[in-house]
Amino acid sequence: MNRTLYKQFDEGYFGEFGGRYAPEVLTEALEELERVYAKLKDNRKFKKQVDYYFKNYVNRPSLLMYAENLTRHWGGARVWLKREDLNHTGAHKINNTIGQALMARYMGKKRIIAETGAGQHGLATATVGAMFGFETVVYMGDVDLKRQELNAVKMKMMGATVRGVSAGEATLKEATSEAMRDWALNVKTTHYIVGSAIGPHPFPTIVRDFQSIIGKESRKQFKKSEGKLPDAVVACVGGGSNAIGMFYGFIGDKKVKLYGVEAGGRDKTPGNHSATISLGKPGFLHGTKTLIIQDENGQIVPAHSVSAGLDYPGVGPEHAHLASTGRVSYANVDDDDALSSFLEVCKIEGIIPALETAHAFSFAKKLAKDLGKKKDILICLSGRGDKDAAEVYRLLGDI
Amino acid sequence: MESEITKKFKSTEGSLFIPYISLGDPNYEDSKRWADAIIKGGGDILELGIPFSDPVADGPVIQRAFSRAFMNPFSLEKIFATTRSIKDANPSTPLVYLTYFNPIYHMGIEKFLSAANKAGVSGFIIPDLPFDSPESHELFSKASKYAIDLIHLVTPATEKSRIHKMKKNSSGFIYYVTSFGVTGERKDFSLDLEERIQYVRKDMGLPIAAGFGISTPDQAAKISKFSDGVIIGSSIQKIIEDHGSNLEICAEKLEIYCKSIRSAMR
Ligand SMILES: Cc1ncc(COP(=O)(O)O)c(C=O)c1O
Repeated sequence: MNRTLYKQFDEGYFGEFGGRYAPEVLTEALEELERVYAKLKDNRKFKKQVDYYFKNYVNRPSLLMYAENLTRHWGGARVWLKREDLNHTGAHKINNTIGQALMARYMGKKRIIAETGAGQHGLATATVGAMFGFETVVYMGDVDLKRQELNAVKMKMMGATVRGVSAGEATLKEATSEAMRDWALNVKTTHYIVGSAIGPHPFPTIVRDFQSIIGKESRKQFKKSEGKLPDAVVACVGGGSNAIGMFYGFIGDKKVKLYGVEAGGRDKTPGNHSATISLGKPGFLHGTKTLIIQDENGQIVPAHSVSAGLDYPGVGPEHAHLASTGRVSYANVDDDDALSSFLEVCKIEGIIPALETAHAFSFAKKLAKDLGKKKDILICLSGRGDKDAAEVYRLLGDI
Repeated sequence: MESEITKKFKSTEGSLFIPYISLGDPNYEDSKRWADAIIKGGGDILELGIPFSDPVADGPVIQRAFSRAFMNPFSLEKIFATTRSIKDANPSTPLVYLTYFNPIYHMGIEKFLSAANKAGVSGFIIPDLPFDSPESHELFSKASKYAIDLIHLVTPATEKSRIHKMKKNSSGFIYYVTSFGVTGERKDFSLDLEERIQYVRKDMGLPIAAGFGISTPDQAAKISKFSDGVIIGSSIQKIIEDHGSNLEICAEKLEIYCKSIRSAMR
């Protein structure tokens, strides 16, 4: 497929990736969403509302912290953490969820639905559902329900209905398919709060914009504190929402190196990892053209990661584009390394990171050594690891 | 070149009956038998579903059919070979693939078209490939060379301006989706169904086949009064789910069911 063809259909594409490949029944809703978003995104009143809830509910701006202990222990570049784990509900997911909930309210929708893997997006959706008074349904794979039970319980406490999905691998991919089916059936009354920078246009753009608060704040905070910009920025990539949000603060600063870290899983064979960008091929999944882990027949291969939030066989289309242009470098870290980084950060810094973020830490540790002293690495600490404590304990035993 | 599908609509009185089966459920060999039984029961055009790992436009019945199909090793070669033998046994019945776009894209549009053409297929329905995407344009422009129609879906929510634009790269017929949501049986259909179908037919100048949720002879009778075709998927697939382990009984049930639908239609 030639690039000029995509240019003709510019709307919603990032290079050749992105677009809108959803069932026809959703087109009307996607177009409505596009219209509404175009109107709201520069609307002063709407922006003020988002800011209000960021400050008064989420606890923004989130802290930018100098990680003294990790810096010393790793013995290389200085390490900085953007503390999205200190947000209400414990992860970056709440940024996007607040924004989309306000859009849903503006559109007069009474019901919101969401898909969730690790449960952080489901939790954030249940939370805004309670606060804004929406009827809320969250789809979650049965496997994830087991490994992330605490989040499922919290969602129910806040009045959300949690629907287990048993199809296929019973993880995030299937939960996403099921949420899309629900939306197709209830599209008039329901807004689907997509939880990562994935899905048909305009979702990847909307999610990225609401998450870009992470990068914008970081840039400002870092500059104020150090009078310069960091040398490298690292974030983990599942669908890619925390990463794209963080990267957007620095995307125009060519000197700042950007690194996305995917889940290398058990090994590099199909079915054992979620390293979509390094090992995937262009294809179509859940309404978007992106890189996808697939077999020789174009069937989607289930992804694996020790962290429920990373095991998605696709990735946000903008990341696929950023990888193809070389602006962002992508790497992957396997389950074992992520687990040991998880423990290291707990023990050395007194912070329990999400298993997702532990992947970013593991990569950053090597990078810190490579860069050497006097350089600065900023890591997006996308969420806290309470939800993972039981699973890590189960995997590693008494530690 | 006039496609087989267009010819079929032109040469058949009244509304066409367009049944659906998922290829490979419970195995590829038996799929041929289901196809024969359905065509014997009065199917005018046959829709063949290519199993896909993530069928977002399908309800539980077809999802389960795909999972059963995947218990056998899947290959597109097997899909094409099975299709070819269905076509050889039923040369006057046009075949349509219902497939998600990724397998086509992965194989390569040109290569897939050529293979489908050799297998005897004369139309594609691709629920996750909207007509206004670059790939849909490319596919449409290449498909006519093989006399393969690109059949698009119109839903109760599709705006008139969109329908009008769709005209440019649609052929064969329009798949009018009778209800919101995914495939599966329904009790009610949208109220302005007849009016909408008349409108789409008039604007696009193509035959309109209605589907999604139709299961009973009564429903087929009613809808066939104002549509050019009636598509039935899930309730046929349900018969295969319930009886597919017994080749003879299942084939008989399929034939009887299809006859009941066919004779109820105009
Ligand atoms: C804490 C945390 N980080 C990262 C992710 C991965 O998502 P994304 O790549 O969209 O940031 C998740 C997903 O659930 C998460 O909970």
